[in-house]
Amino acid sequence: MAWETVIGLEVHVQLRTRSKMFCACKTEFGAPPNTNVCPVCLGLPGALPVTNAEAIRRATQAALALNCTVHERSIFARKNYFYPDLPKGYQISQFDQPLATKGSVVFESPERGRIEAGVTRLHVEEDAGKSLHDRVPGKTAIDLNRAGTPLAEIVSEPDLRSPAEARAYLTVLKQLLVYADISDCDMEKGSLRVDANVSIRPLGSTTLGTKTELKNMNSFANVERALEIERNRQVALVEAGGKVIQQSMAFNAATGEVRAMRSKEESHDYRYFPDPDLPPLVLSRFWIESQHAALPELPDARRDRLMTILGLSGYDAGVISAERAIADYFEAVVAAGADGKSAANWITTEALRGYNETGSFAVSPHRLAGLIALVKSNVVSLQAAKRIYGELPGNSDSPKAVADRLGLVQVGDSEQLGRWADEVIAAAPGELARFRAGETKLMGFFVGQVMKKSGGKADPKAVQPVLAERLKG
Amino acid sequence: MSIGKEQILHVARLAELAVADADVPTLVEQMNRIVEFVAQLDEVPAGEEAPPFVAGPAELALRPDEPGPVPLSHPIKAFAPEFRDGLFLVPRLGSMEDA
Amino acid sequence: MSAIQHITSAMHEGRSTPQATATETARRLTEAAPLNAVLHWSPELLAAEARRVEAVSPAERFRLPLAGVPIGVKDNIVTTEQPTTCASRILEGYISPYDATAVKRLRAAGAMIAAKTNLDEFAMGSSTEHSAFGRVLLPLDHSRVPGGSSGGSAALVAAGVVPAALGSETGGSVRQPASFCGIVGVKPTYGRVSRFGLVAFGSSLDCISVFGQTVDDAGRVLAAISGHDPLDATTANLPPIVLERPRGHLRGLTFGLPTEYLPADLHPGVRAGVDRAVAAVKELGGTVKSVSLPHSKYAVPTYYIVAPAEAAANLARFDGVRYGPRKIGPAGDLRALYQATRGQGFGAEVRRRILVGTYVLSSGYYDAYYRKAQQVRALLADDFRRAFAEQGVDALLTPTTPTPSFKAGEKTADPVSMYLADIFVCSANLAGLPALSIPVGRSEGLPIGVQLMGPAWSEAALLSMAAALEATVSATSEVR
Repeated sequence: MAWETVIGLEVHVQLRTRSKMFCACKTEFGAPPNTNVCPVCLGLPGALPVTNAEAIRRATQAALALNCTVHERSIFARKNYFYPDLPKGYQISQFDQPLATKGSVVFESPERGRIEAGVTRLHVEEDAGKSLHDRVPGKTAIDLNRAGTPLAEIVSEPDLRSPAEARAYLTVLKQLLVYADISDCDMEKGSLRVDANVSIRPLGSTTLGTKTELKNMNSFANVERALEIERNRQVALVEAGGKVIQQSMAFNAATGEVRAMRSKEESHDYRYFPDPDLPPLVLSRFWIESQHAALPELPDARRDRLMTILGLSGYDAGVISAERAIADYFEAVVAAGADGKSAANWITTEALRGYNETGSFAVSPHRLAGLIALVKSNVVSLQAAKRIYGELPGNSDSPKAVADRLGLVQVGDSEQLGRWADEVIAAAPGELARFRAGETKLMGFFVGQVMKKSGGKADPKAVQPVLAERLKG
Repeated sequence: MSIGKEQILHVARLAELAVADADVPTLVEQMNRIVEFVAQLDEVPAGEEAPPFVAGPAELALRPDEPGPVPLSHPIKAFAPEFRDGLFLVPRLGSMEDA
Repeated sequence: MSAIQHITSAMHEGRSTPQATATETARRLTEAAPLNAVLHWSPELLAAEARRVEAVSPAERFRLPLAGVPIGVKDNIVTTEQPTTCASRILEGYISPYDATAVKRLRAAGAMIAAKTNLDEFAMGSSTEHSAFGRVLLPLDHSRVPGGSSGGSAALVAAGVVPAALGSETGGSVRQPASFCGIVGVKPTYGRVSRFGLVAFGSSLDCISVFGQTVDDAGRVLAAISGHDPLDATTANLPPIVLERPRGHLRGLTFGLPTEYLPADLHPGVRAGVDRAVAAVKELGGTVKSVSLPHSKYAVPTYYIVAPAEAAANLARFDGVRYGPRKIGPAGDLRALYQATRGQGFGAEVRRRILVGTYVLSSGYYDAYYRKAQQVRALLADDFRRAFAEQGVDALLTPTTPTPSFKAGEKTADPVSMYLADIFVCSANLAGLPALSIPVGRSEGLPIGVQLMGPAWSEAALLSMAAALEATVSATSEVR
């Protein structure tokens, strides 16, 4: 039988703020354990939460970037369960009245082309602390620095049909969130985490099968891998006459195994109720609209604009708009006078090589535009320009000054070129005779010889007419 | 609706409260009295759409995103039952593993 | 002259000093020890409080409304210098690393924190018999209860040890003991006083509230701790209470007598107390009219859903992980830690309420209980809105309690009968309204109180009405 895979994703992203969700502790990563803590995030008796405006603003922008409806009224609720890294015995989250619902993510599926996956909801919540199980033998150690960090949870509809598609969705989701400056989405720092719900059903069926929830995946590649393994497990199980049980499964990246997590049935009775410490979150339509207006241009719109206005190819426009920093750099180079196509050529090759290594651009947009202009006006050759580009970081000389210093300015004046041409022709009487007998493809040989004689400085476009004049005889 | 021993024990597990066997009969009796007492509310007509009460301000006031927490006047180790190298310690998770 | 005026004027006129007041308070605290009203105090801490006040220049002290005034603080309000135990084994020895906003404001007003007072464990009770550290005695009759849960603060004020004390209310825990002890108890509007540092019980109901020997004493302390606090999102963005000048009459004011609060079988002494208050209102030129608050009978059952549900979540943080004494059961794992710490650390009444609260929130019961209770609560609040807005009532006048103080042990076996001791007081908590109790006489030697309830933010008006009544009725004479 042919099976269809049905996947829905729950993504937690840390909202970019300076202080925590409900207290004024810092959110910095990597501080010594239990140093960014206070009565509120330690859950001390008598402490009360106060909501961070910036977390609400970023979450609202995230919801708008995902085409969600942001609600003018939403409610914080307590999610009750015991765990040693959950200081209050409940997590402040949102339940039946979340910040935003009904959004979508448009992305390129490896199998189905351009598709839209639904976003069920986006809500705001606080993170728990960190349990360290390997520090002290027989004990669990608790660090509460992360407790109270602001998170947005983004729940997708079960619209994804393959592990590769799930990965493509995540890639685009991350791109959007980074673009809009909502989160740094760094899985290694825990600022983006993914849980995946997966089920199978006979191809053509429209009812959902029993799902399992996959956890503990630390990269997008592992999400794809874990989903494949779990999908295959379910198919094998069902084909052997078994039944999938609804449960949580942990992925072990080292062994490539997916195994069921032990959990008690009552641990799922979270006894949600509205948090009486926090009045309803009320946002005006006007404010929500203003946040929409404040969103930066998102990657899709930007790519389209680069194609239609600047005439870039779909490929170049896609590479450049993939990251906000790259696109901003590109536009700055164009604004400094470069034409779009040349700027795109330079950025997708030379500039991006450095950027991918260091995370920043070593040459200012103004200098790159200057270098492009030198090539355009035949002052230097493209080859020479690449050498000059390599010399630009680490000093503030203009590209022309570097070209002069390295002696890379092209020679285009016909007197000097004529002298070189005469020398070359005089030294190659055999080739001259063959040329004159009709072997015109030897022009390439003569141009090459002139270039060589000039030490690469001759302008190849100017060399040819000078040679042609003399070779005619 | 009446509450039995099983339900008391289930709720006690949710609340992480040890309940001694000897206390169960009294608890069953008292819980039933309390639940019967509060069930008086059944007679109040209030449909799905009746708005629930909200205590305090009608709208949440937000805090600017500025670090500056309420300081601790004495260190964590002064009140923590087990605290070593900057970390709270608890026994192994046992039956709560993966929960 | 109120007790606070007495202390401050003596100090300003050079007849006394904060240190002398501290010494005298220490003597009275020692003398009152048999009441078991206090959980923590020391002469050294009192002396240090006095030194702090004396470090302020006399000119500056003049501007401090509570300069050199000793105040009792219920032991569920956190302080950095004394332990805060909530009268529970689960917090035995715990010293908070931060001060409650109310405590900071008391100190800023020049007050001296005299003692942390006994209470029903986590403020759950109506008699202060449910303290892990022993029951509090009614000063007038040691075989009886002072009411609760703020019984320690009430007894301390009633015994004349301090002019005023902080208590807390979730369902009448200040007004009810004020009535039993024959003193003044004032609960402000929800959101008037910061809860930051009040150990939470029922968060949507909890209010730090005040006892005073007189209306003036209670009013001064309440004014000092009131006002917006950025650390409590449920405080209203309003300035502190500004007290009104005492008024000699009640002309132009209408007092509503809700029929639901005066059942035919009401205790005769309590009834007589209400009659005395009504006569005084008329004598002072006020009008009295009968009104109805039709949902009143549902107040106690509503309360006993909302409060335990919120309490079950609020008390989850007492898990033995981060603070408080830790117990570990035989299995030796984390669950054994939780269950033993909580099972042994909480007393019977607290455990019972956690179980009820967990039950009403558990899967499948939320709508039937918690949601329904919050809907009924809205109806109750609407009863009050109508009485004030549509029937032109300035304040409601009711008995504070259905009976005077009862004997210790009389109601401990039956939780529901204990719950009904709060039948007249818990509506104000459910509706978030200000209310106070003042003594209006005694019945067979036991104090009787009447309650005034007003619209939101009407504390200053309620206090001035109460002061007029206080000046007219004899609080210590038999009502009949």
